[in-house]
Amino acid sequence: MTTTTLRAVTHRLATTPVEQLPSIAAFLATSLTDCAELLSAPQAQKSGKTESDHSVQIHKLKTRLATLLQDRTIEGRWTAVVLVKATVEAGQWEILRGYEPIVRGLISILAKPDPISTRKMAMIALTRIFHLTYQYPTLVREITTPHLPAFITAALNLVSVITKLPSGSTRKVKPNTPFMETVLQVCLELVPRHPTIFRPFGTQLRSLLTEILGSSSLYFPDPVMDIAEQLFASLHKCAPKDKAGSGWTEDCRATVLSIHRAADYVFRAVVEQWESVDGGLVSARQNFTQNLADESSDSLGLASWEGMHAGSDRLVTLLRLLSNFVSMPSTATVALPLGSILDVTSRLTSVTAPSDEGTRSGVQTNPQIGRDERELLWAELPRIHIACMDLLAHVTSVLETSATPITQNILEQITWVFRNENTSRNVRLASYDLLSTVVSLNGPAMSKQSVTSITGVLRACCNDLLPSSDESGSQGKQQSDAKPKTKNGQATANADSFLNPDLQKNRKSQTSQFAELERAASGLLQTVLTCVPPQLLVGSLRAEIDRTIILVSDKNAMLASVLNPIPAIKGRAAGASIMPFLARDFADSIEVEALIRPRMPVLMTAPELDAYAEVEDEQEADEMADDEVYNAAPEAADFLKAPAPAPVETKTTSQVPMHKRTYVEERPISPAPTEKKARLEESANQQYPVVTRTSTSASQLAEADAPERMQPEVVTSQAPAAPAAPAAPEPEEESDDEMPTLNMDSDTDDEDDEDVNMEG
Amino acid sequence: MISESFIAATLSSAKTPTATLRDVGICVHEFQPAPQLRSTFKKSSTTPNCLAVSPSHIFAAQADKAVVHVYSREKGNQEALVPFPERIRSIAVVGAKHGDVLVLGTEGGRLILWETCTGRQVATTASHLQPVTSLVVDPTSNFILSGSADASIHVWSLPGILSFSKPAQSQDRQPPNSPIRTFSNHRAAITSLAVGHSNGRNNIAVSTAKDNTAIVWDYNTGHVLRTYLLPFSATCLALDPVDRAGYVGYEDGSVQSIDFYRSGSVKHTLHDTSLQSTPAQVSAEDRWLPPSAESGATRALILSYDGTTLLSAHDSGKVLSWNIARRKFATTVSDYTHPVTNLVSLPLNGLSNSSQEPTRSIHTIVKPRHDGALSDPSHAPGAVPAAYTFHTHLTAPSRLRSRQTSQFSQALTHAAFPTSMIEEGLAELAAFRQPGAEVSRVSYTAPAVPDTSVDVAAHDDRIAELEAEIALLKKKDAVNDKTRHTTTDEVVQLRSDLVHLQDYINEMHEKQEAAQRDKVQRQARKEARETKKREAWFAAEGKGRNGDAVMKKMDIDEGMLTSDSDDQSDE
Repeated sequence: MTTTTLRAVTHRLATTPVEQLPSIAAFLATSLTDCAELLSAPQAQKSGKTESDHSVQIHKLKTRLATLLQDRTIEGRWTAVVLVKATVEAGQWEILRGYEPIVRGLISILAKPDPISTRKMAMIALTRIFHLTYQYPTLVREITTPHLPAFITAALNLVSVITKLPSGSTRKVKPNTPFMETVLQVCLELVPRHPTIFRPFGTQLRSLLTEILGSSSLYFPDPVMDIAEQLFASLHKCAPKDKAGSGWTEDCRATVLSIHRAADYVFRAVVEQWESVDGGLVSARQNFTQNLADESSDSLGLASWEGMHAGSDRLVTLLRLLSNFVSMPSTATVALPLGSILDVTSRLTSVTAPSDEGTRSGVQTNPQIGRDERELLWAELPRIHIACMDLLAHVTSVLETSATPITQNILEQITWVFRNENTSRNVRLASYDLLSTVVSLNGPAMSKQSVTSITGVLRACCNDLLPSSDESGSQGKQQSDAKPKTKNGQATANADSFLNPDLQKNRKSQTSQFAELERAASGLLQTVLTCVPPQLLVGSLRAEIDRTIILVSDKNAMLASVLNPIPAIKGRAAGASIMPFLARDFADSIEVEALIRPRMPVLMTAPELDAYAEVEDEQEADEMADDEVYNAAPEAADFLKAPAPAPVETKTTSQVPMHKRTYVEERPISPAPTEKKARLEESANQQYPVVTRTSTSASQLAEADAPERMQPEVVTSQAPAAPAAPAAPEPEEESDDEMPTLNMDSDTDDEDDEDVNMEG
Repeated sequence: MISESFIAATLSSAKTPTATLRDVGICVHEFQPAPQLRSTFKKSSTTPNCLAVSPSHIFAAQADKAVVHVYSREKGNQEALVPFPERIRSIAVVGAKHGDVLVLGTEGGRLILWETCTGRQVATTASHLQPVTSLVVDPTSNFILSGSADASIHVWSLPGILSFSKPAQSQDRQPPNSPIRTFSNHRAAITSLAVGHSNGRNNIAVSTAKDNTAIVWDYNTGHVLRTYLLPFSATCLALDPVDRAGYVGYEDGSVQSIDFYRSGSVKHTLHDTSLQSTPAQVSAEDRWLPPSAESGATRALILSYDGTTLLSAHDSGKVLSWNIARRKFATTVSDYTHPVTNLVSLPLNGLSNSSQEPTRSIHTIVKPRHDGALSDPSHAPGAVPAAYTFHTHLTAPSRLRSRQTSQFSQALTHAAFPTSMIEEGLAELAAFRQPGAEVSRVSYTAPAVPDTSVDVAAHDDRIAELEAEIALLKKKDAVNDKTRHTTTDEVVQLRSDLVHLQDYINEMHEKQEAAQRDKVQRQARKEARETKKREAWFAAEGKGRNGDAVMKKMDIDEGMLTSDSDDQSDE
């Protein structure tokens, strides 16, 4: 099958006119992928007639591709690039061996005035080839070592112009090149794998990147900046082996210093309260009479800048660079400077815009700087703070549980920023994400004070999640609360919203920004419900959270809420569980099923089931004895029987102890959920008397049938009601009084329960 | 291939082991699929609960010495020997995934927390009155449980101890770094502690003590869930991976299981409030007996990954395996001659669970620093000191980063190229062939964005663009039509004009011809008159009359005639 496919491919390649090849290229590539087995089969094993036929076909394919790469027409070269990638992916080592001319051909395409897509794809194909050779020393010797430098030069030439200097050559960016992103990606991909080959290009790359990162005149789109930052953070890998770790440390240190320097200028409109923990830090001297600008290049070699926006651009770039240092793989053990990072973020987050002109609390302004510049600074602050929070998010995601010593500091910084800048949607988004990471790490051990400090964030979170019609309502309410006089104006504010109430909702659902914010908000609520001790959340807040997640049908958050009920406080009514909402909304989901009708395999299973069956009788006797000793109500297990899948070990009914049955018949189901999660029941009990009654009737039924074997239907009918059932709302004192004995009668127990239910 | 291993540590004794095990204190032993000694670490002697294993290192607190040996699992050698001010009686690592923090229980009753990646060391208050003999850390890495010979168990908050910035202590004026809860239901020295496997709030802790009890309790509240009266005093403890049962080992080498479920039901007896105050008796006959009496006391218990096999370490140096379903002894896994005091099970080798892959690794630990650089800076209490650095090797991009995938990385690992890229290329090739391709080339440089929502937007833009183009074309077409109509009209007009002109020309021609003919006739007439005149003259001359008179007469006639004829011709 694959043989014929391969032959068909080579045939079509040879006979189709070159101009028409591109249209079938995709098809040919797919066919080649299907031949992967054949292409990657080792040459040595190919003996015999058919096998030699294969190698002939493969050889034909290779030569045809090589000629196509040199073809006069652009279509031929384009097709060749596509198929070379396909064969390389399919054949891996076997194909790469002897691919040297093809690699050379691909590199030469980069210098030709081919379509942009041809050159981009050629770069990707080459990257993949060098990527694959990495593991094989022979291929590295044959292909990578001779050709990678040429490729790097060709790729860099596409985006920049080289200037030779005695101290080493530097590169200058070509403006408006469409290849910038691809070329940087290529470098980013290859630097970690072939650092030694990149070593001579280290200074060139660095000059190119500092120009991209530091330029305020040239514009680069976001993805390019992003990759440039990542690449800059990986450049330390090109350093000589012995300096790899220290190179990272130096770059990181330089970035931190650059941030402080930029902050010295950008924040000159305020008098900072912050004091560095690092004694070696020197703040930049500056002239307050001049416009805001940093005239000289900083410790990273980034160029000068002028103006508030350029300054905060620089700060954001540097912060993102630092995030990359923290999150990108390193070559050796590095020392993450947590102290310095926290120092930087604490400095940047400590300056916040005054929430109101009247109450300028906390921030002391610098009288030497005009009001205009100060207000520009207020406008730029959220961007800087978002970058800070992203940096902290990267730090915590790398450290995971080891972030414990610094989580409290991070928490303080988030809440401080959030309190002052929660009007910015992006600040909210970043805070939710960071906070949910922190809470998931140290939520269980959070103190009352910490939980109280994030209350505001959680309320905002609920607000963001609620459907927009509701949101506008609550906003209106807030407005009217704050300034009652605006009430008249509000009625005329937006007449269209009365005419078409769906309008706002549609608008909201269309924006992806909202979706992202909702994801973050829902994630945070879920984490808080799961990790934070429920007794620490204020009752009203918990009610608001529950209400929100019910309204937006957030399944995961609802599950988290159900699994972490509000603990009952002595002398007060138990809190409500939102389990019924969950059961109604998501009856078909597997988690809800597992929660409501648990069927965990109770007893140990073993591969030697048959062997176990032999000793069943005597063990049974033993276990019966055990039961007598410490199982309080063995009969409780008996009167409910249903085909539950799991348990293997059996318990015969007390009525027919010697009865031999098959396992399937005998699997007992629990009466269990009824009495099991006492907490849930208790909470549900008061709230949902309807459910209570059903379950009571079910248990009456069960009782009636008890001496006989129960019919499965009865059991299943009871099951759904069970967890919410009161079964024994068993107030603790009461149960203590009533059940001092070990062997209590389950029947009477049930009756007692019923009585209690009827009364309550 | 999937394999399962455990690490066993021994306490040196007077017995001399075989040559392969000489000097060996810690053994890495594979027990599934085939029992086999994998590697050994030398010169260690540990008492129970004094072995801790992180993914990169093994920490062994030495018996009768205030020293912890650190072995590198990666290099297979002893990496460091860390001295401490007091003897270490128990040890545990925080966080199974990285194991960056080591908790040490001292002879004096305090805990020492050592961050092995930063060198920071924090000590707690000496809240225990006697040595801390057992330590466990809960699965969320938030709480430490420490058991002591003074019969109490303290619960400590890990963030509370480690955090640089302490939330302000409010009502309870407790000294910093003190336990948040104390469990004091036991009446004698705690022998062993275990914690459940839940990350939730209902996680359980199990403790055994020399008062012949095992108590299951909730360490988040301190409530007792169940008390089990054991036939003897348990020496060690292990919990089922699903927390269905607990296993205890005794001095006589036997082990016993404690089922937490009421037999035959899914009911968890631990959470049945009616049973919580009732102690349950565990019968002595139900023990699983060792194969021989000289196997010695059980010192440590672990469970296999699937929870079907129990491994026990004994004073005789043997590690025995027990079949849980059969409830009896299965085989002897190994024999180390010296008393085996610790067993630690290692995670399965060869299971692919990429989300659990650590993104960093630790090659060398940082010894505790005592120079004070890691204490709070004086001017900013609670701030992280500048010298606080975390030594680690970042091996993979962090989770946040790997979430984003670019078009480039998609293309790089695709079997050929993604369809979007091929289509883009085809479009560009087609544009390249057309004249004036230069303009269109540039428009294709923007990379197609993989994100669907943006794609939709791009499509919308495209459609809008196309519609505009269509409108433009239609307008052009209309204009064209109009001009075509006018030109045809013009042509028709011109044609009719032409016809008119031709008619006119013909007319003119006719007229001309007529005039010609007229002329010719007149000529002819004139000639005829001339002739007549001459004839008449000749005749008159012939007759002898005066020819001139005749001539004159004729001229007069002729004049009349010509005037007539002229008139005619004028018409």
